[in-house]
Amino acid sequence: MAELVSLLQNLSNGLLIGGVYAMIGVGLTLIFGVMRTINFAHGDFVVMGMYTAFVFNMILGWDPYFSLLVALPAGFLLGVLLERVVLAPIVDKPHETSLLATLGISLIIGNGLLLIFGGESKSVHVDYASMALSLGEVKISVILLLAGAVTALVIGGLYLLLHHTEFGRSIRATAENRLGAELVGINTRRIQGAVFGLGMMLAMTAGVALIPLLFATPTATGPILTLKAFVVIVLGGLGRVGAAVAGGLVLGMVEVLGAAYIASAYRDAYGLLFFLIILLFKPEGLFGRSVKRV
Amino acid sequence: MTRHLIGLLVLLIAGLIYPWILPSALTVGVTILLFAGWATAWDILGGWAGQVSLGHACFVGIGAYFVAIGATEYAMAPWWTILMAIAVASVLALAWGSLTFKLHGPYFTLSTIAIAEMLRLVAINEDWLTGGATGVFIDWLPTPFGIDLFARETQYYLALAFAVGVMATIIGISRSRFGYQLRAVREDENSAMAAGIDPTRTKLKAFMLSASLTAVGGGIYGMMLSFLEPHILFYLLLSVQIALTGIIGGRGTIWGPLVGAVLLVSAGEIFRTSFAEANLLIYGVLILLVILFLPSGIIGEFNRRLTRRLYARRAQG
Repeated sequence: MAELVSLLQNLSNGLLIGGVYAMIGVGLTLIFGVMRTINFAHGDFVVMGMYTAFVFNMILGWDPYFSLLVALPAGFLLGVLLERVVLAPIVDKPHETSLLATLGISLIIGNGLLLIFGGESKSVHVDYASMALSLGEVKISVILLLAGAVTALVIGGLYLLLHHTEFGRSIRATAENRLGAELVGINTRRIQGAVFGLGMMLAMTAGVALIPLLFATPTATGPILTLKAFVVIVLGGLGRVGAAVAGGLVLGMVEVLGAAYIASAYRDAYGLLFFLIILLFKPEGLFGRSVKRV
Repeated sequence: MTRHLIGLLVLLIAGLIYPWILPSALTVGVTILLFAGWATAWDILGGWAGQVSLGHACFVGIGAYFVAIGATEYAMAPWWTILMAIAVASVLALAWGSLTFKLHGPYFTLSTIAIAEMLRLVAINEDWLTGGATGVFIDWLPTPFGIDLFARETQYYLALAFAVGVMATIIGISRSRFGYQLRAVREDENSAMAAGIDPTRTKLKAFMLSASLTAVGGGIYGMMLSFLEPHILFYLLLSVQIALTGIIGGRGTIWGPLVGAVLLVSAGEIFRTSFAEANLLIYGVLILLVILFLPSGIIGEFNRRLTRRLYARRAQG
């Protein structure tokens, strides 16, 4: 019985953490799907979200979730700006070019934050951090639940945007076939800017949701989260929103169960190992249709 | 070819004179030479074979840890432990490449990060082997012919020999059958295959050579640090620095990695005073500038302009 309870406990934690991974992965997969760009700075965008929440909490005493009011528009605008300045000029170059450019952005963001805020890790303390809901003997942390709710809202909103608006249709058309989209009069350049903005906005939102749970360090946290986001989208199958959600949940489960039942020190390694295995034997992803090789 | 060998001779002489001119900047000298050697070794795979690896720090780590553990635990001299590190690095590259070379483009790059990151976690967690997160301190090194391997000057000459050796290797490769095979595979694997080249075999050879040379530099780096920590030696940022040094200088060129190393290490040193530990900021700015304005790297762009001018002159004459 006790074993069953701890299994259920682990499963629920894995699911909730996986939800946040899903939100990071969805932004990345959206960018990849439309631009065929590996965005190496994605984890650093998440860290920017974390620092946004931290700054507003420190100066104005805001609850982290309140800083979404700033993080959402700022993320979108910054993303559009970055796309215009850095990625638009190299859109037709080979794939490594955009990978390296975003790597450059990642170094600038990480080291910029280090320069401004120093190297020690930052977090935001909230009163509800230690609260938990009880479902029978299984405890569900309130913060994880909130993060999960934000994820569900954001991904639901994104789904509505992609499937029920003209703008969303243009995005999907651009992802499916850029030339075809241009032929029917879609301004794919503008779509790319907007998609990068959306991706950055999602990443910063995930950062805001994560800050009560996770410490942020300027140069270390970003690359780890980028790697996790890649694991999520490769697990799911590149370029599809639903698959990224599934990939996120799987990664959360693999990490939590591995840490609980094998060895907790290797928590980050289970996801990577799982990722390599999937990459080698099923490169189209766990839930992916066969996709074109990039 | 002779032009490059003369260049190498000039580099060797300049390198030998350097300690007399700038005796206070020996550490910077060692760093430049190590990065020049690493970036050239990286470029065999990343530039000549076109497979961008962001996991090379793990070969640096293997070299350094073999030297350190061999010396402290078994009183083994670095030349033996570096040989062992070469063997381990090439076997790892062989296994790693056989598994991942069927992946293309970004997938290969992602797999290199994942594998290096897993090795970093092993180095942090297996205390019995690596001293874990607290690190290993090299407290003993042999003194062959009375030479002090702990002296920065000795390490400088070792690093010089390493950099010149790696560059001589790439000069040799550039005109060899293997060099042409590498370029053919980079440009188009299918055409290379049609010409009777086995792309996977070629890439594997490049990866093994690249890995073992990187491990040699890692061994020298280990002696220079003399205190090893996993979060320095296996870190993603070290892999990124090695790759960026090659890319900024110019991929698939002979002198690009050296130019990249001189530029990036000295820029890092200059900005260290104003940016302190955030000195990698300058790497980020430089990589964006190079990608937007000099897409084939500094030496690549120089070669392009030179060729264009030569053709123009020939067309006129």
